[in-house]
Amino acid sequence: MRNQDEGRKDVQLLTKEKFDFQQLLQSPSTDLAVAGQSVQRTDARLKVTGKLIYGADYGQQGFLHGKILRSPHPHALILAIRTEKAAALPGVAAVLTARDVPGRNGFGAIIPDQPVICGDKVRYVGDAVALVAAETEKIAQQALELIEVDYEILPAVLDPREALKEDAPQIHEKGNLLSYNKLRKGDLEAGWREAEVVLERTYRVPFLEHAYLEPDVTMAVPQADGTMVVEGPMQAPFTTRRNLAAVLGLPINQVRVRQVPMGGGFGGKEDSPIDIGCRAAVLARHTGRPVRLALEREEVTIQTCKRHPMIMTIKLGARRDGTLTAFAGVIYDEQGAYASLGPVIPPAGGSHIHSMIMMPGPYEIPHVSVDAYLCYTNHPYGGAMRGFGAPQVHIAHEQIMDELALELGLDPLEIRRKNAFKLGSATATGQVLDQSVGLRETLEACAREFDWAGRFRRTGYVDAEKTRRRGIGVGLGWYRTSIGTAGDGCGANVYVHEDGSALLFTGITEMGQGSYTVLPQICAEELGICLDQVRLVQPDTHMVPESGPTVGSRSTTLMGNAIIQAARQVKETILETASEMLLVPASRLEARAGRICDRENPERVLLFREAAARAMARGKRLIGQGWWTPPPATLDPETGQGNPYFVYTYSTHMAEVEVDVETGEVEVTDYVAAFDVGKAINPRAVEGQIEGGVAMGLGYALMEEVVLKNGVPQNLSLQNYLIPTILDVPRIKSIVLEMPNAHGPYGAKGIGEMPNIPATPAILNAIANACGGRVRSLPADPEKVYWAIKEAGGAPQE
Amino acid sequence: MNSLDLAFQLNGRAVKVSMAPDTLLVDLLRDVLGLKGTKIGCREGECGACTVLLDGRPVNSCILPALKVQGRSVVTIEGLTRADGSLDPLQQAFIETGAVQCGFCTPGMILNAKALLTENPKPGEEEIRRALSGVLCRCTGYQKIVQAVQAAAGIAE
Amino acid sequence: MATAFRELHWSGDIPVTAYHFPPSLPEALNVLERFPGKARILAGGTDVIPELRRRDSAAEVLVDISRLPGLNTITQAGDEIRLGAQVTHAQAAASPLIQEKAGLLAEGAAAVGSPQIRNVATVAGNLISARPAADASIPLLALRAAVVLVSKAGERIVPLTDFFQDVGKTVLDENREILTEIRFKGLGALQGGCYLRLSKRRALTLPMLVASAVVTIDPDKKCFADTSIALGPVAPVPYRARPAEVRLRGGALTLKAIREAAAAAVQECSPRDSLLRGSCDYRQEMVQVLVRRALQKAVERAGFSLE
Repeated sequence: MRNQDEGRKDVQLLTKEKFDFQQLLQSPSTDLAVAGQSVQRTDARLKVTGKLIYGADYGQQGFLHGKILRSPHPHALILAIRTEKAAALPGVAAVLTARDVPGRNGFGAIIPDQPVICGDKVRYVGDAVALVAAETEKIAQQALELIEVDYEILPAVLDPREALKEDAPQIHEKGNLLSYNKLRKGDLEAGWREAEVVLERTYRVPFLEHAYLEPDVTMAVPQADGTMVVEGPMQAPFTTRRNLAAVLGLPINQVRVRQVPMGGGFGGKEDSPIDIGCRAAVLARHTGRPVRLALEREEVTIQTCKRHPMIMTIKLGARRDGTLTAFAGVIYDEQGAYASLGPVIPPAGGSHIHSMIMMPGPYEIPHVSVDAYLCYTNHPYGGAMRGFGAPQVHIAHEQIMDELALELGLDPLEIRRKNAFKLGSATATGQVLDQSVGLRETLEACAREFDWAGRFRRTGYVDAEKTRRRGIGVGLGWYRTSIGTAGDGCGANVYVHEDGSALLFTGITEMGQGSYTVLPQICAEELGICLDQVRLVQPDTHMVPESGPTVGSRSTTLMGNAIIQAARQVKETILETASEMLLVPASRLEARAGRICDRENPERVLLFREAAARAMARGKRLIGQGWWTPPPATLDPETGQGNPYFVYTYSTHMAEVEVDVETGEVEVTDYVAAFDVGKAINPRAVEGQIEGGVAMGLGYALMEEVVLKNGVPQNLSLQNYLIPTILDVPRIKSIVLEMPNAHGPYGAKGIGEMPNIPATPAILNAIANACGGRVRSLPADPEKVYWAIKEAGGAPQE
Repeated sequence: MNSLDLAFQLNGRAVKVSMAPDTLLVDLLRDVLGLKGTKIGCREGECGACTVLLDGRPVNSCILPALKVQGRSVVTIEGLTRADGSLDPLQQAFIETGAVQCGFCTPGMILNAKALLTENPKPGEEEIRRALSGVLCRCTGYQKIVQAVQAAAGIAE
Repeated sequence: MATAFRELHWSGDIPVTAYHFPPSLPEALNVLERFPGKARILAGGTDVIPELRRRDSAAEVLVDISRLPGLNTITQAGDEIRLGAQVTHAQAAASPLIQEKAGLLAEGAAAVGSPQIRNVATVAGNLISARPAADASIPLLALRAAVVLVSKAGERIVPLTDFFQDVGKTVLDENREILTEIRFKGLGALQGGCYLRLSKRRALTLPMLVASAVVTIDPDKKCFADTSIALGPVAPVPYRARPAEVRLRGGALTLKAIREAAAAAVQECSPRDSLLRGSCDYRQEMVQVLVRRALQKAVERAGFSLE
């Protein structure tokens, strides 16, 4: 890896005193002017005044309204479709079936296995069978009702393990096993021999809905020159464009995708804009008119991707002192009807292989195996959701660590202290963590703030009637920055104008996480101008360089590096010009807050804009183009050994809960979470990510689940798909530590997904600590907690 | 379908419109009157993104027939910004404390908070949380939203 | 079985063709008469509008009674409390009279939905929607409330025990009757009441179980003179746990008596197995817990302590 030695030197300096995390506590950097500051969001004023225009807010004049006829069966052959009545309805502009798709009748973020319109068969309840465009939504809806479809119902596969049986109905031509991946490290048999205790447990997690507040919407607008413009909230404009081009049969340069402000994404809007974008575009292409396709809340739940459910079994061996010796994991990962983001993009991209890599947790274990099966079923499909396969496996490894601690009579922190990653640790894939490893520091910082030792002694009943019992729990976590594919590049352009203002072009999207603030901060920092002099251009694939998707906690780090490159190119020109103007060597000049001065003689100063004007007048290039690709990802497909991701973020969460032992109700009463983020470019935005991620992890632990019955989702609305309200989320104390990433801008690494991940097991562990019952199949709603207490023989007496 | 006339106060100004009897307030505000700050997240009164103030009290405009506001006063998020463009202290506090992420719940949060502070200028944290319990947020974990309301109310943490 | 079209295809509109604001009760009854089978009374509309959007209702004509005069008050007549049909949950929850004389109703009303819902949704509407676990219906049933139903033929007063018929169905004749008032006796000295609810989150949620109890204490004998216990959803309609009430009559003020009553409360309960709101087994166990706790609290509020 590049700069390896340099990076290691930095880190060793910071870790020379074991667990002295105080010096790593985030503090405003004195040498940085804009980066590292909690500046206000660039879009906040528009949002608090209601002036920001989201996708659903665009004018609809002249638009046709698209609607999708959905399959009522989880698995069926389509025998016939009769559309005449629908097409004859006044106001209907088009009724399309599979044969009307102009190009490839398939889309998908990785494999195009999902039909734009199903031709021969349907694979889940909600699959598209026909598309309608009409003058009003009402007419489109009426037209849908007039379409007649004859189905031959096929037996449905509704369990990933059933899917692998020899006689299971085949959902796709290539079979139901979409991907099998394995990891082999050390000598597992030796590991079991070394073990003095072996524990085996199975954990299950359900489908989760992203529940972004903004329902999906897309607009496809055909242009006179044959170009198709597709606009809408989306996380992956380039993936959407690639799919649109194939589906429409157009070259990529005739597809223009524009991202509009997003009301939340959380990974879900990586997939769904491809789905509705392709469908709206096919209708627009066919009618020659702009088409708007908006989903109602219930339709979002029915149609769009979910977090993958999994059945995870771990066998864990340890010595009596808690030292881990062996780990064997098996994952049945349910993909649902379509491949979406599940399958492998070599070497280590896709959610499934990511789950495999993360499953053994942030612990040194000499002997490891993981077998991971990704199975098609006739359920909704699994896509990306904040953590991309990592939250599920954290729920497994963090719970079994606690179960092991209980078995060994150890404090849950002790067993983690014994095994947690540190600088120089080797992961289960054999990757040596050679820089920016702050896991243990987060553990100690969190333990001190939470007063773990004190509280651990004070758990028990909180009331005289002995109905409420208090407990505490811990969860450790690690998460990659980047996506582990060979092509994880990021481009940025920076244009500086003669008045010193700058435009920043990137393809990274804003979904609430704050990229439109953090990326301009980095640009302003590098150019040496004030933040208000930088304007970010809303991603438009005709204008911004390829940037990859806004996923994988990659934006700040990868795009930040690309922006730094681009800005430095321009700044070099500016400083050369300033050097001529001030008669001072460029190497002595420093740009900061829009002023350029001689470091040795600060009196010699001119304004950034004066230098920019002069450079422009002299015909100099004030355009910078940056491109950054992470150090190469490697992973041997046979052994799962290699360096799949170039850096990881680490964190420790601690939760306190009170459990009503008579009803199973759980209240999370206190929360502390500590992170090693490398460098917080905008500390307040980092806190925002932490607090929001914890809330989402709390929902996963206590209440969230897409309930399916015979393949049909039962809780379509936000009345029945429960996410935490303001009364369910406790105060959250965030601790931000900075252990610089040698490959990150100013040392930064990703933070978007990490906070969501260890929150769930921390709460589950606290519940078990409080009431003695452990819920191994989520969510831990009151009923499940109640039965878990019963199964444990009742809550402790004292 | 026959058109019906409706007259009401919207953000302090008299408004008269003619509309179909099946019109819901949120659609009247967004599609007819062009006030897009009121958001639609669920259309069943569950998420609170469509909150407006009706005679000073928060209501979900997505399940309120528009005709119900006849002769009454409606305030939307657009109505909080003053004529000179300056912001309501709540709006300012939401910006300063970082209570905004995707922004989709923000109008509903601010309007529920506005109703609370009008009635109870110095609410406790529990009162703030109760008052905002009808608006879902998926981004923030609510913490900075509570802090923003406290800041707007001049309550030191 | 195929999933219904309307479960998979949604739209934002409601299929309403006419909207009436009758200025008086007789006028409202006239409108109902004009559109038999098609008209629907609407007060707050927080149940009706989502139902129309889901196409769960065949109504096309809305008859909005929110401007009828005289129906928006909470009054006391002797020891009887009267809630007009326009009284909202927010109003009921904040009313000092309700808080003092029917605290369990104030608690139930405060648990409904969200502040925005409570500002609009009426207590009367909560009864008419006839959900088996409605947060205001259960305490009103425990308070032995009755409703006043007015038609052109006059008015009838129906106790809630006779009002509910099935899920979503009451004895109210929607073609010719309007519920105008809810009446019940406020709690006096020697009486106490309690409302409890079990749910998966702490706001904005339908309950897994609701229980309410009202106790009347005989101070001389130190025993339960009378109790009423209401539960939902353990049957298609809000349910009075008679076996438990009978069991407790004359019983001593002991935890043991309460426990026995709570056990008896389960006897005739048959909650459905719900994928979303809990299994029958679990809810039967919870009936015992909630009934016990509600009775304990009610005794405490009556000013007595358990032995």
